[in-house]
Amino acid sequence: MTWNDLVALFPILILALGSAALLMLGAWWPRGRELMGLGSLVAGLSVLAAIALTPPVTEISGLFGAGPYARFFTALWALVAALTLLLSRRYGAERRFSGGEYTALVLFAAAGMALLSGATSLVGLFLGLEAFTLVLYILIAFHREDDAGAEAGLKYLVMGAVATGFLAFGIALIFTSTGTFHLPEALSGLDPASGMRPVALLGWAMLLLALGFKVSLVPFHLWTPDVYQGAPAPVAGLLATGSKGAVFAALLGLTAGLEVGWDDLVPLLWLLCVLSMLVGTFCALRQDNLKRMLAYSSIVHMGYALMALLAAGPTGRTALVFYLAAYTAMTLGAFGVLTSFSRASGEAQWLGDLRGLGYRHPLRGAALTIFLFSLAGVPPSAGFIGKFAIFIAALDAGFIALAVLGVLASLVSVYYYLRVVVVLFMSAADDVPLHGGSRGEGAAIALCALATLGLGILPAPLLDLIAQLIP
Amino acid sequence: MTEFTHIPWLSILIFLPLAGALLCLVLWRREELCRWLALAVSWGVFVLTAGLFAAFRAGGSGWLLYEDHAWIERLGVRYILGLDGMSLLLVLLSGFLMLVAVLVSWRVRRHTGFFFALLLLMEAGILGVFLALDLVLFYLFWELMLIPMFFLIGVWGHERRIYAAIKFFLFTLAGSLLMLLAIIGLHLLHTAAGGAPSFALDNLRGLELSPSLEAWLYAAFLLAFLVKVPLVPVHTWLPDAHTEAPTAGSVILAGLLLKTGVYGLLRFGFPLFPNAAAASLPWLALLALIGIFHAAWIAYLQPDAKRLVAYSSVAHMGFVVLGLAAWNQTAVEGSILQMVNHGLTTGALFALVGMIDERAHTRRIDELGGLWGKVPRLSFFFLFFSLASLGLPGLNNFAGEILILIGAFQTNPVWGATAFAGVVFAAAYMLRLVQGVLWGAARGALFWPDLEPREGAVLVVLALLVLWLGLYPAPFLAPLREPVADLLNVLPQGGLP
Repeated sequence: MTWNDLVALFPILILALGSAALLMLGAWWPRGRELMGLGSLVAGLSVLAAIALTPPVTEISGLFGAGPYARFFTALWALVAALTLLLSRRYGAERRFSGGEYTALVLFAAAGMALLSGATSLVGLFLGLEAFTLVLYILIAFHREDDAGAEAGLKYLVMGAVATGFLAFGIALIFTSTGTFHLPEALSGLDPASGMRPVALLGWAMLLLALGFKVSLVPFHLWTPDVYQGAPAPVAGLLATGSKGAVFAALLGLTAGLEVGWDDLVPLLWLLCVLSMLVGTFCALRQDNLKRMLAYSSIVHMGYALMALLAAGPTGRTALVFYLAAYTAMTLGAFGVLTSFSRASGEAQWLGDLRGLGYRHPLRGAALTIFLFSLAGVPPSAGFIGKFAIFIAALDAGFIALAVLGVLASLVSVYYYLRVVVVLFMSAADDVPLHGGSRGEGAAIALCALATLGLGILPAPLLDLIAQLIP
Repeated sequence: MTEFTHIPWLSILIFLPLAGALLCLVLWRREELCRWLALAVSWGVFVLTAGLFAAFRAGGSGWLLYEDHAWIERLGVRYILGLDGMSLLLVLLSGFLMLVAVLVSWRVRRHTGFFFALLLLMEAGILGVFLALDLVLFYLFWELMLIPMFFLIGVWGHERRIYAAIKFFLFTLAGSLLMLLAIIGLHLLHTAAGGAPSFALDNLRGLELSPSLEAWLYAAFLLAFLVKVPLVPVHTWLPDAHTEAPTAGSVILAGLLLKTGVYGLLRFGFPLFPNAAAASLPWLALLALIGIFHAAWIAYLQPDAKRLVAYSSVAHMGFVVLGLAAWNQTAVEGSILQMVNHGLTTGALFALVGMIDERAHTRRIDELGGLWGKVPRLSFFFLFFSLASLGLPGLNNFAGEILILIGAFQTNPVWGATAFAGVVFAAAYMLRLVQGVLWGAARGALFWPDLEPREGAVLVVLALLVLWLGLYPAPFLAPLREPVADLLNVLPQGGLP
């Protein structure tokens, strides 16, 4: 690793070294709130570094990219980490989380996500993915007195370990077929002229299975609702946004280099896309638990992202990256509102907990409404522009049935999002006192709401940026 | 004139209520202030629309005002607004009815700031629908109207308000989402044919489409618009939404939201898909005639006065669609005029039913009765607008209906003759309403206050307009002449039965 490599890695180094430093600091200075605040600052610095510094090389040690695409996602995931920590301060203090460990883990997860998004080698992909998955095992079960959290952590661990096995095996098979880990050369095994095609296909199947588990595509989704429900709300937000978005960013990098063999994967991905949209939509309809509803809704949204991936081409890739950014803003915001409503005694997960809150807490009620309408794809919101761009790309690529199905799924989805809005604004308030929210939480939610509306009204700058940086 | 047209009047028209809505949201705790702010903003918008009408009352071919700016260039979406004689009339109606809606909501006591913010937001959405010429911008405003109405029904509505609000939202969204796909399809076909990526109406017109493709795309547009009109059999959301909505919500629903469907057909559906549209006209006429009779029959059986008026809306919109289906100068002008008429009379009737409900706390016809003896002034207006609604000559609905009927006779005498019978049906249910509410023995000994000055002023102005449109509709038909003539040239001639 040369000096130039280190410079190129600087934004991620800030995250990783900051993580280590705060972990040590936490051992002598056990002040949870302050440590998480410092963690937010570190992540914010990393965002600035990723935006401001132009790396001298475009690839680091043949493992990770350092081009504009990787930097974009580094900035995005560092921002997500910063907001997650900001949201966790009161939540963590009330549950006596040990601040040093928590902050270190969140920052480390962001570093893993950033590495995964820019992976240019199958080894890099494995490293990045495992870096943040391992961290998430701990974070999900971080609340020691909560049995649901422990159960969720265990579930994620067992399923995740199986997926990791598949991932490693798949990578090994792909390596066998071509003799290299580096992308896109490692993908040439799918070439019909290559004698190793069956091995490569098997490897790809295993790789997709493992990644499908991470982004919870149907039929690999069964862990999702339980884990979301059991995990602490801010961690669930990180899990729903960063961990899924980073995998999709890596998938985009993988498939962009796939010149031959793409046609073999299309039917499989098509099926996963249809199943995710259908099953996710119908399961979300009957959920009375907000976190479970958001879990199923995230499954549907990953179906949309897969539609964009299938559409391929510059329009499809631009749509995918824009959608990931939009999805991150609105989902993180929704979990942020849930976090800020939670009390020391428990989270406000159930629909009944939110009765009439739109009037009692108008700002956060309005913010949650914005996020939900955006998730449903109602204009003017980031979610609408994202879906609109995806439908353009999908129809352009000839996936008419997928687009129609996507539209119908989004129609049905309006029903379950509206249920929450109805509870917020159209039912009498109970006398359950929910937390008034802290200033940091308010700032994080406001930023997400601003991004959700802003990207819906003026999406042109981000779309232009993304069009320049996609591989 | 050039100085005048350089000012972006159309953007001002849309952003003024939007700014008012945001201000109301910010000041939501100061209810009295919000109320006056809403009145001031809606008054300002009305003055603007009236000024535009005065400036362009002579009409003319092409766009009277036009704005075009880049918006999302990468996707080919532009911010294009345009005003012609047809939108001029509907914009004027919007400005006026929103003012009425604000005035009839003066007594709203719950979450007042929020209420008026939603009204103004809806005004921005409706004006945007009538002015947008880029299909994506149009879609955006089209959806933007839904959200405030959803809250208006759901928060301030009556007993079954949540059911009605969700039904309303899902029905309209079902139509419009498929329209969104059709819009994208049209855009891609235009690009594939060698055009620059665009969603602008002017660019997408005249695209060569294969007949089956044109039929599919047209069907998606048609569904979105007919749900909104609403035409039988996709009308079932309307009685629920109308009945459960607060008074202002019903006034806007009947007066403006239903008009966006017909407007969408005229502005987008017919010009974009002329061949499919020409083929669909007889079917539209059939559905319109079924609607006139079906809705009239159901209206006659309603025990609830508000529901009766709601079904009368479906019947009246049947006439409007029949005018479109007849597709000649007289009938189409009549249809557009009838939209204005229906907005005024039905808006007034909903306001009156709301006023009665505020006093009697019931809308059931069998629990009302004898109002003439108790509240003569309110009853006079009730009778007046009921007579207007059933098409009494000299009042506004007659003027619109007679144009539609004459036009329908010219195209197909059977349509005209059948629709004439529909007018008799209208008389039947309206007279039953009048008989049940105004005449007979007074029930309940409570003393009711008659009209207060605010209510009286609204009704007097509405009544004067009803008389004006009934006796001398020419000023309102003048700006329509050339846009309608241009529209008629769009469809291939001779394709009619």
